[in-house]
Amino acid sequence: MSSDSCVKEETIESLIKEAEQLKIKLEDERQKLNDVTLAAVAERLEVINYMNIKPRRTLKGHQAKVLCSDWSPDKRHIVSSSQDGKMIIWDAFTTNKEHAVTMPTTWVMACAYAPSGNLVACGGLDNKVTVYPLSLDEDVSLKKKTVGTHTSYTSCCLFPNSDQQILTGSGDSTCALWDVESGQLIQSFHGHAADVMSIDLAPSEIGNTFVSGSCDKMVFIWDMRSGQCVQSFEGHESDVNSVKFHSSGDAVGTGSDDATCRLFDLRADREVAIYSKESIIFGVNAVDFSVSGRLLFAGYNDYTVNVWDTLKCVRVCLLYGHENRVSCLQVSPDGTALSTGSWDCTLRVWA
Amino acid sequence: MVVSNIQQQRAITEQLRREAAIKRIPVSEAVADIVKYIQEHEQDDCLVVGFSNQRVNPFREKSSCTVV
Repeated sequence: MSSDSCVKEETIESLIKEAEQLKIKLEDERQKLNDVTLAAVAERLEVINYMNIKPRRTLKGHQAKVLCSDWSPDKRHIVSSSQDGKMIIWDAFTTNKEHAVTMPTTWVMACAYAPSGNLVACGGLDNKVTVYPLSLDEDVSLKKKTVGTHTSYTSCCLFPNSDQQILTGSGDSTCALWDVESGQLIQSFHGHAADVMSIDLAPSEIGNTFVSGSCDKMVFIWDMRSGQCVQSFEGHESDVNSVKFHSSGDAVGTGSDDATCRLFDLRADREVAIYSKESIIFGVNAVDFSVSGRLLFAGYNDYTVNVWDTLKCVRVCLLYGHENRVSCLQVSPDGTALSTGSWDCTLRVWA
Repeated sequence: MVVSNIQQQRAITEQLRREAAIKRIPVSEAVADIVKYIQEHEQDDCLVVGFSNQRVNPFREKSSCTVV
């Protein structure tokens, strides 16, 4: 082997070799700082003994599988989308339907409320993300506007901080940031090797960071301005279906087809907890934290919602009710309620 | 993953270089901060501690009779 020359010539071989060395170094560094487990630290904490979450509302109206839902910032309305191409705006207090929009596609896998509450976005097998301004006076589909188009299905979308931009994840393995007004692509995010299934924005203090989960089993942290992946987490053994920032902003919770949920800490740069039981063998489709981050709600293919104590790493309780797989769930913006959506065509509100 | 050209491999290696340069803290420190954050916010977490009174639960069952 020749010694290093002054002019470093990059070849595929040298790059591959360097990559291998970096991987080993990364693993070493992470392992070196792995000095304690979360469950051990949490041992001295009190167990959660008051759990009184009950089913409070059932939202009936979809004719097919509910695939996605999102709370309005007003903590009262919910937008949901379904396999049959319908998007419904619900008043979750009264269970009334305020709008029902038929999309020109089936499998509307993504829907989201804008921060103002006056706009919703959705998309699915049409590969697009379309916005609908909400008004009670007229048919909302009259004012619809296509903002972005991927080369495969739209799996998830959200408005990062304002009504002016939409962030999407797609089956084309990319994420993209779009300008709502012009429909222009502001930034695209390349790195995943398979379908992006879920994205979540970091809590506002951090502002320009988001997380993505993919069928390549990876979880990536992205810088929205540069378009660069700044951190990656591996550990899941199958598709990562759901990702969610912990309210502290320092960690992300994930749910996967490998039947586990996990907690990855950004500053320790590694997995710090795994939420699983031998008896749980079904995949996780959706996760969300309670406002303090103490609870992690997870919707499973076995029709249940498991509620995990994120610190003690034990299951606190199970929420039964849905009659088919739980496809989506979300804690309301003020943390007082949990909404769940299912392939049984209903949404439920728990509080 | 099959890497077909030098550009792709360079992107992968550069990504690893960036990640290798990240400053890390020990898990004990990270975990202590998570525990601290949760403890500071837990008393306001209705899904953990419940409602001080069911009347403040916006999704409580509508009572069929009222106390006069």
